[in-house]
Amino acid sequence: MSTGNTKRLRYDRRFGLLLIAPWVIGLLFFKLLPILASLGISFTNFQLLTPEQTQFVGLENYARLFQDEAVGYVLFETIALGISTIPLQLAASIVLASMLANPRLKFGNTMRTLFFLPSIIPGVAIFFMWIGFADPTTGWLNKLILHPLGLTGFNNLYSDGAVALLFSISSLWSVGPGMLIMLGALQGLPPEIQEAARVDGAGPLVRFFYITLPLISPAIFFSIIINMIAVFGGVVLLDRGSVFSGSFSPYDGYVSYILFDKMDLGYAASLAWFFFILVMIVVVALFSSARNWVYYPDREA
Amino acid sequence: MKTKSRHKWLEPHNYLSLQLWETLGSALFNLLIFFMLFVYLFPMLFMVATSLMEGIQLRDRNAPAYPSQQVRFEYQGKEYLVYNVPINGGVRQLALVEPKQTSSKFIDPQNPEDGLIPWKGSWRQLKGVYRFHVTFDNFKILFSSLRIPEMVKNTFMMTIISEIGVLLSSIVVAYGFSRFPLPGGNFLFYVLIATILIPEKVTLIPTYFFFARVLKWQGTWLPILIPFFFGNAVYIFLLRQNFKSIPKDLDEAAMLDGAGPLRILFQVILPQSWPTVLTVSLLHFYYMWNETRQAALYLSTRRDLAPISFGVQSFQSLAPIQNQLQAGALILMIVPVIVLIISQRYFMRDMVVTGMEK
Repeated sequence: MSTGNTKRLRYDRRFGLLLIAPWVIGLLFFKLLPILASLGISFTNFQLLTPEQTQFVGLENYARLFQDEAVGYVLFETIALGISTIPLQLAASIVLASMLANPRLKFGNTMRTLFFLPSIIPGVAIFFMWIGFADPTTGWLNKLILHPLGLTGFNNLYSDGAVALLFSISSLWSVGPGMLIMLGALQGLPPEIQEAARVDGAGPLVRFFYITLPLISPAIFFSIIINMIAVFGGVVLLDRGSVFSGSFSPYDGYVSYILFDKMDLGYAASLAWFFFILVMIVVVALFSSARNWVYYPDREA
Repeated sequence: MKTKSRHKWLEPHNYLSLQLWETLGSALFNLLIFFMLFVYLFPMLFMVATSLMEGIQLRDRNAPAYPSQQVRFEYQGKEYLVYNVPINGGVRQLALVEPKQTSSKFIDPQNPEDGLIPWKGSWRQLKGVYRFHVTFDNFKILFSSLRIPEMVKNTFMMTIISEIGVLLSSIVVAYGFSRFPLPGGNFLFYVLIATILIPEKVTLIPTYFFFARVLKWQGTWLPILIPFFFGNAVYIFLLRQNFKSIPKDLDEAAMLDGAGPLRILFQVILPQSWPTVLTVSLLHFYYMWNETRQAALYLSTRRDLAPISFGVQSFQSLAPIQNQLQAGALILMIVPVIVLIISQRYFMRDMVVTGMEK
């Protein structure tokens, strides 16, 4: 009987491996090997236009990276972007989801769909729309919002302030997936716990911060991950920010510049690898911190 | 009935006012959400309105925000623009016949037989009279400068091919992750999640060289489509969460009936999880409709193979004016918006459920 079970287990294990084989092969060829190859390239002075002159230069690219003022600048900008947009998106998605989960809401499904709508519009269309909307002479931002409020409005669309404002507005505009994740979590909450707390005399704010928030912490965790990816310059679920200046992430944009404009592949690879290490540190920190603040009903998943 | 209820609010009169408060609060709440939605979608209103405007309206500072045209009046075989003219203590709508620096002559469209009316002042300070007017010229220009139908066809082809690949592979892999004991336990699953967070640039250079220089796939769809046949980490994650939520009792019952693991997947699990499969396929559809990055890498030399987002993006470099740009944006977003509206019943509900765990 027990040999039958081990046989069965071994068969299951092999079959499981067979099932996930496509992903493992993809992981190998599209993630692991390219990452290692990038590491190799980062130790060379590989230039796209003169590949025959490629030489091993050791850590020269990394030394250059630490002296490059632009790297410090874009890194700072990327962190600032993360710190300003991730909590903003998180707060907006929680507030919006709690409003949309309210049973008093009329036309609930339609409302949810309309708030979600911007998240499925192609990034190019969003980009065209925002630069048009904020255009100093023909857009509505000056004409219908800032001037009637008595503000001076924008003169130059590409000034730093205007770009920063557009970034934060557009990050709020892609709040859809985060909102749905929160909505799912809120609707999945058992009403009995809230009732019990209400009977015990807990006010709405206390109930929100001490009961609702801890219970939806898995959704908050998932949402932080989703929102962080845009800052890292990746695409997940429905990323709409990438069309702004080539990428939503300033650091990613700088790598693109070195890669496509300077065609300095060796240096670009070292920039990418440096960032990869930073990102992995953040990921490990986030996942290990999750034990302390993310609530799992059963520790199984 | 002498006895009065000790609870004042239970009296019919006060009970009614309580209900009134409820209704009022509910109405205010809905009004607030409606207002938020209006602000939220306001830029889209701009897009639609501007795409229906004529170029001349954009240059006119006094023109209203909605698509409009200055009213004209035909007088003696010629057309003249109508302005709001402050005259004799009132404002009259008059057509400008003879514009001069300091004094101009107007005609009253209501009584043209009265002849020219002289007016002192700079006519450039006058505000015009506008009426609602839409034009579809911007869309005509868009369709004549870009091959929109071809791009739509390309996007649909790419979506269908990669959809088959990504659904098949992601479903099978998610099944493996959700139902089978894998070596290393949850470690491989953590690796799966971690790959979602790998910055794209760190894999870009070698991948590009492998596809473009080694396999010579430059100028084809292959480098964009083939990676999808090896599953997508986000979709695998979403499907795995859903498969895990399906009770194992049915699997075991089917297994006792002699069904193999693949038959269990296709006949027991998939029939129950089709909303999630639909959600994933819609996510992929929106992704492909948004695709510009890979196309910029591999299809810059083959404009005839360009998907729609990439194609419309190039419209900006043709330096069109705002209203044409907005027409491009509108054409680009119309299909995803229609798909969302059609699928909202399933998509919205299942996105809500899918995000719940983990």
